[in-house]
Amino acid sequence: MSRAGLALAALFALFVALVLRPELMSPLLRLVAEPGQVLLYDRQPIRVLVGWHLALVAAAGAVACAVGVLLGVLVTRPAGADFMTLARMISNLGQTFPPIAVLAIAVPLLGFGFEPTFLALCAYGLLPVFENTVAGLRGVPATVREAARGMGLAGAQRLWRVELPLAAPVILTGLRLSTVINIGTATIGSTVGAVGLGEVIIAGLQSGNTAFVLQGALLVALMAICADLALRRIERALTRA
Amino acid sequence: MIRVSGLRKSFEGVTAVEGLDFEVAHGEVLALVGTSGCGKSTTLRMLNRLIEPDAGHIEIDGRDAREVSPDALRRGIGYVIQGVGLFPHWTVAQNIGTVPRLLRWDRARVRARVEELLELFGLEASEYADKYPSELSGGQQQRVGVARAMAAEPAMLLMDEPFGALDPVTRGRLQDEFTAIRRRRGITAILVTHDMDEAFRLADRIAVMDAGQILQIDTPERLLRGPREGFVRQFVGLDDRALRILSLHRVRELSRPAADAPAPNQWVSPDDTLREAASRLIWEAGDSLAVVEEGRVTAEIRAEDIWRTGARGAP
Repeated sequence: MSRAGLALAALFALFVALVLRPELMSPLLRLVAEPGQVLLYDRQPIRVLVGWHLALVAAAGAVACAVGVLLGVLVTRPAGADFMTLARMISNLGQTFPPIAVLAIAVPLLGFGFEPTFLALCAYGLLPVFENTVAGLRGVPATVREAARGMGLAGAQRLWRVELPLAAPVILTGLRLSTVINIGTATIGSTVGAVGLGEVIIAGLQSGNTAFVLQGALLVALMAICADLALRRIERALTRA
Repeated sequence: MIRVSGLRKSFEGVTAVEGLDFEVAHGEVLALVGTSGCGKSTTLRMLNRLIEPDAGHIEIDGRDAREVSPDALRRGIGYVIQGVGLFPHWTVAQNIGTVPRLLRWDRARVRARVEELLELFGLEASEYADKYPSELSGGQQQRVGVARAMAAEPAMLLMDEPFGALDPVTRGRLQDEFTAIRRRRGITAILVTHDMDEAFRLADRIAVMDAGQILQIDTPERLLRGPREGFVRQFVGLDDRALRILSLHRVRELSRPAADAPAPNQWVSPDDTLREAASRLIWEAGDSLAVVEEGRVTAEIRAEDIWRTGARGAP
């Protein structure tokens, strides 16, 4: 196994261990805790929080990916070129609009919990996927596109067999950025009652318990690093092919 | 058989090509030559409808090109482009098999055809079939590009500066290979190039284009012997036309009977060009050369015959 592979395996094992046996973290948390404070978050099992956190990020990632790639493909077709500016504006808006503001707007419409957070993450994760899809498709060499057309590949065949496979590593980079950003951003969902690791951090902030904050932050960071390393490996495998 | 008549195309009011008429017979190679922007690439790209002409008629093997869908048309025409444009994520075999797969040939037939073409282009199938384009040299990529264009046995090949991006030695070798393959298999092709030497080496007829029109279309020899005044004269280049004419002829055309003998020091083979024979004669300061096949003298060639071939007014 390569070094990067070993690092990923080790970090992932650590993450799983800390999720299933949170008490392993106690010696570390004791360093930052006030005497007499509870060290480990106990209002919900950590594995439930991790499960929901992942579900939230995955669902939002899937939507951002589907919409981002679709938009990216659309605006790079001759017929969709006119929508380029519009699509760019929408995806930029999603990124510049702070997720917390999206939550503020979405809660009155969708209520508390999973849904507003999901919406905020979808909006936030869209831009990297969209931009990278456009960049990836535009990066297909002109000679290759010309050859595909000249060989008689139909439009959809050119897209599926030539353009998307060649753009895939770049698109995946966008998806990776989007996922890593959203693993962190998902924590703010807990302010509107979405179940996730943010809950641990916010509970710590509210009760002045630094141990909770550290526990939550460490788990989120580990999750983000593991996702980053795993997706990088897939990218590299795709680039090599 | 390709018949083009009255072909016209303008881009945003600027005429790119106008009043183009020409024919390419089965098994013939026609070169379109001219400076950049003369409309030669536009012409080529109209033949497989990568560009739709404004007016005119294109007929391929008796069928109007407009009656066929562009994709179906292109699958029936081989296309070799400058810069090769191999699909970088596909192996050599997959690249060559592109059009046969589009035409839904069965797997075994595609594989057999790929192997046949790799062999034809001097690439060992077991070594090269599963390589990716990035693992090949420029010359090998170019060979695969031509093989890919020929894969589905198209009625004709369109070649846009096919050997343009190669060093002179590799280019020369590929031109020779192409000529050899033509002789064995018969290829109907339209070749676009700005290199007059390439046109002389590869084409049966040459169309000299300027400002969107064909100024003269003729065999290389007639183009050299009787270029029209003006651009054609200038573009064809007349300084070394005698030598160029000699390079269009082979030794076997002029060889005379000679007594059987072992090969002497200086000799030519029947397939050498008269230019090569002339060069050797000048070097030797001789007036005849032995023609040798398989180590034995089979004929001789005389300087006076060669000089006569290169002279003004020769038949």
